[in-house]
Amino acid sequence: MNKRRLFNKSLLLIAGFAILNVAMYLIIHRFWIGGSSFLPMIGIAGPDKKFLFAFIVNLGVIAGAAIGAISSGEFRFRLPRAGGIPKAVLGGIMIGIGVTLAPGTCTTCFITGIPMLSVSSFLSAAGIFIGAFIVYRIVWRRS
Amino acid sequence: MSFTALVAVGFLFGIGFGYFVQRSGFCLAHGLGEIFIGKGKRISRMFAVIFIITGFISPQLGLKTIGEIRGSGFYNLISGMFFGGGIFLCGGCILGTLRRIGEGNMTFLIVFISFIPGMALVVYGLNPLLEANYHVEKMLLPELLGVAAPFVTAVLIVGAIFWLRTLNRRR
Repeated sequence: MNKRRLFNKSLLLIAGFAILNVAMYLIIHRFWIGGSSFLPMIGIAGPDKKFLFAFIVNLGVIAGAAIGAISSGEFRFRLPRAGGIPKAVLGGIMIGIGVTLAPGTCTTCFITGIPMLSVSSFLSAAGIFIGAFIVYRIVWRRS
Repeated sequence: MSFTALVAVGFLFGIGFGYFVQRSGFCLAHGLGEIFIGKGKRISRMFAVIFIITGFISPQLGLKTIGEIRGSGFYNLISGMFFGGGIFLCGGCILGTLRRIGEGNMTFLIVFISFIPGMALVVYGLNPLLEANYHVEKMLLPELLGVAAPFVTAVLIVGAIFWLRTLNRRR
């Protein structure tokens, strides 16, 4: 019973994800970074084009997610609802500020940084919890 | 390896990441929401698994850690706060946003495009101010604690395994 719970499908998939992440660094010596990877959208490719590389990886993530969603029948084309657009825009701008101000997003911080004991990732994680909790208290709990 | 070949390999890895993320339903923003309402077992298990695998494998392979590449400083905390607030507001972290675009949810395409003004504000507006005060130091937790890295990793991995077991036992 415990074995079944311990190795459920989601955990096996996330284990595969973590192994793939380490494998990528081992094979091509590049981390998959989250935040800075979007800088090519404002014309910054980064030293050795490493941001551009990460941006292409992220485009691959979209393609991979689409393959996963189509193969499992979860793909559904949904247009944005008018009421959700302001939150999407404000949230996106805040993410844009956050990822550019200093390195440390969910990917960099929780997937790679903390397991590798990087102090910057622990600081970023603390900030992410604080920021999310503030928004949770102000926006979500009220609504 | 030429840049084109590197990008091609990276794109293939990206497809793999995207597939695993979509099938596992992993999203930090969603996970934080679960934690705040007291139902954080699912995301905690996922983080524990990632921590155990990456924390164990990376030192064995002698990989250069992210802490050796990037500095840390007060701005990590501030940027984390903006990022955390942003992902919670729009309902998707970086991975979650990319995953949902792939799933056909166009709201997250708006989130994705909205990164641009935020990034431009910092790069072209705030950066000159920040550069004068942004001092970073490349640092790893073992250095900070003054303990050898294998001990810190071992303690944290054992802690994560116990955490995972505790989460699995709880109903």
